[in-house]
Amino acid sequence: MKYVDEAEVLRRLEELGSKIAKQVLKGEKPKLEIPLRTLSNTIWDEERGLLLLGPKKAVREFFDLKEAKKFMQTILMLSLLIRARREGDYPTIRDLYYTGKHTITYVDHLGRSMREETWDDQRESNSVLQDIEVMTGLLREHMGVMHDAKGKIVGNIIVRSKGYEIDCSRMGSGAYAIPPNPDRLEIVKVNAEYVLVVEKDAIFERLNEEEYWRRENCILITGKGQPDRSTRRMVRRLWEEYGLPVYILTDADSYGFYIYSVYKSGSIALSYESERLATPGARFIGVTVSDIEKYKIPKNYIIKATDMDIKRAKELMRYPWFKSKAWQKELKLFLDRGEKVEIEALSGHGFKFLSHTYLPEKIKKGLWIE
Amino acid sequence: MPEEAITKESYRGLSAAEFFYRNREIAGFSNPSRALYQTVRELVENALDATELHGILPDLKVFIELDERPERVKVRVEDNGIGIPYDEIPSVFGRVFYGSKYIIRQSRGIFGLGIKMAVLYAQITTGNPIYVMSSTPDSPLIAEYRIMIDISKNKPIILDEKLTKKRRRWHVTVVELVIEGNWSQAKKRIEEYIKRTAIITPYANIYFKGPDSELFFKRITKVIPPPPKEAKPHPYGVDVEMLKMLIRSSEKSLTLKEFISSTFEGVGEGIASNFIRWSKLNPQKKIAKLTLDEIVALAKMMKEYPYWRRPRPLSLSPIGENLLKKGIKEILKAEYVAAVTRKPSSYGGNPFVVEVAIAWGGNVPLSDKPILFRFANKIPLLYDEGADVSRKVVDEIDWNNYKVKFPAPLAVLVHVCSTKLPFKGVGKEAIADVPEIEKEISNAVKECGRRLRAHITMVEKIHEKARKRVHFSKYINEVARALSEITGLPSERFSRKLFEVLNEELGEGVKVREVRR
Repeated sequence: MKYVDEAEVLRRLEELGSKIAKQVLKGEKPKLEIPLRTLSNTIWDEERGLLLLGPKKAVREFFDLKEAKKFMQTILMLSLLIRARREGDYPTIRDLYYTGKHTITYVDHLGRSMREETWDDQRESNSVLQDIEVMTGLLREHMGVMHDAKGKIVGNIIVRSKGYEIDCSRMGSGAYAIPPNPDRLEIVKVNAEYVLVVEKDAIFERLNEEEYWRRENCILITGKGQPDRSTRRMVRRLWEEYGLPVYILTDADSYGFYIYSVYKSGSIALSYESERLATPGARFIGVTVSDIEKYKIPKNYIIKATDMDIKRAKELMRYPWFKSKAWQKELKLFLDRGEKVEIEALSGHGFKFLSHTYLPEKIKKGLWIE
Repeated sequence: MPEEAITKESYRGLSAAEFFYRNREIAGFSNPSRALYQTVRELVENALDATELHGILPDLKVFIELDERPERVKVRVEDNGIGIPYDEIPSVFGRVFYGSKYIIRQSRGIFGLGIKMAVLYAQITTGNPIYVMSSTPDSPLIAEYRIMIDISKNKPIILDEKLTKKRRRWHVTVVELVIEGNWSQAKKRIEEYIKRTAIITPYANIYFKGPDSELFFKRITKVIPPPPKEAKPHPYGVDVEMLKMLIRSSEKSLTLKEFISSTFEGVGEGIASNFIRWSKLNPQKKIAKLTLDEIVALAKMMKEYPYWRRPRPLSLSPIGENLLKKGIKEILKAEYVAAVTRKPSSYGGNPFVVEVAIAWGGNVPLSDKPILFRFANKIPLLYDEGADVSRKVVDEIDWNNYKVKFPAPLAVLVHVCSTKLPFKGVGKEAIADVPEIEKEISNAVKECGRRLRAHITMVEKIHEKARKRVHFSKYINEVARALSEITGLPSERFSRKLFEVLNEELGEGVKVREVRR
């Protein structure tokens, strides 16, 4: 996806707005055509290893009882985005929610005075924002919409932001917070062998404290659980622009496996952004279910899988992007054992086992799975 | 009151008046409250029979006054009916069974039984005679009487008699009684009775004045349903006692065949011959010579013979769908009414007609089940509702089928007319569940239900449209404002266009009548 400048962003948003305005002024019933953001309209591009948005579109008509409110919300959101672009504002999605939220008062068909909010919670405003993204082919980052970025990066990399150079190997005990729109970062210099993405913030902190990245000459990133868009975009850029191998470290459970797949292939909810956010070359370094035997993880670290874990694992087995032999074997083993372990379980062999033995050995010997 | 029983008693020489006196509870005079209600009923029903059966639009006035002693209650009813010939008045009010002829037609009562009960009741509770003033249309005189009944001899005692010359042509009957009654207890029932009478006789003016209340129901139509014709008894409905009575009142010289071909409804020479051949009776036998055993056998065979004609409903006088609708709509102030008069049917040789009306919405109060108004031969039935076949039918119907969700503002009126109504028990306040009647009521209620559903559906559609209009309207201004911000054009341009489309979609300005819930 190419870089879109501000003028182009505003032009595309206004184009959508004036299309609707013309429909209305011509006395037509206004309608929007919105690509569907559902599993049924998510396509697995095997060759590229990406989850992509399919061709199905839904028509949202204002004069449709079920759609009227969503239509209103969509146009309301569109007007907020256009206003922000015109005025050079960078609102967060929460700002947009509050700016658009107000009370409609009306009299119902029985003559009662009624009140209704334009939207009741942020899920509703987020949802129409995503609709506008897929309709215009613009991402929220293009539209200057911020979110609460939670990703962190540390290691042998220098970036430039607003003219300031930031050396991520000089952050002390801290780390550089990945900004909401990493495309606005200029990567000045990279001197690393690979990227290690850690699911958990606590493990990231520990590895950073040990200066794992210095010893291993790599870049360390965490998305603190389910990664946000900027973290995924950062990982993608390092893989795409610098050809660095990307390894993902998560807990050995369904939730961890899915997080890996989000980095690698994209998520169902955000499949329209996969081309920009996913890292098809990402490798799963661990923790695998077979590691429980292989690394003789002590019994007290082994947890019984919940019903939810089992259910999710069965779903994962059916996803096309988990159809590889290695993954089918791991997931089957997970279901057979009915057990899961956390990354911390490796500490059963001492706190340094993860950083000094497990990770270097697996990376050196190529013991990842895809 | 079972006629057979009365006849049997009278054979044993007990005066009919004495019999009634001993059995006054049966006739509804069991306590001061019920007796007051019953007295009003008897007088009002006689007054209505004296008018509408003769094609006169009824003007009724009912007065109830309390004495210094409140348990003594004066009931006065005035009507504009055909009046009673002055020389008949003493017997009509003072002799039980006088004039009771076997006329088979629908009327509120065989004239006189109930009123004489009321006279007796007044006599034993307050010692007061009945006051009657009456004049027939042709008579130049107005007659006034005070009469009591000689209980043991079943004869009138005339206390006072006065004849005056009429100044103009008019006709009237005024009847006044002083009885022991309990107004405060009977008040609700009596008012309800008057109201329901007004529903079923929308062609009557009914004025009621009680000690502490006043009601006036003005006539809402001048159409009176055609009065019923007198009819002969139908052979299916004949029993031994009736047969005896019919024989007694016929020419002694008649042969069996002549008797049968001349006495019964729908029976002529041909059908009489066929019946006699089938029954293997002697057609030449003189009816005066029939023994009791032969009469019993004849009655039995008449019931069993399968080829009689169906009874004709000439003797019935239903109100008709239009009048029924008018009455119930006016008095209940309903939003919607539907009425069905079924085709005549019969049970056991007795013709009957069922009429049903449904009232919905408006001032009909919300209730957990349908409010029921029962009528038998135009008489409102107020007691024993739980035992009545109509209650059973109405409760068994699945009202969901008709889009009625309880609590709902729904009233059902059921009117059964027949020459002989199958009352449950002796109180004559509940109609028994005779399968033929039950089926007719059920069909009629369902038919009304279907019409009600159509109405509710229509109202729902109107509401639905209004609801849709509101739903879109409330967002139009929001959309217009957003488009105005995007384009810089005034938002009215957008909202005006959107409202135009909305009006095209839904039709302009549908006004919704408010439905009280």
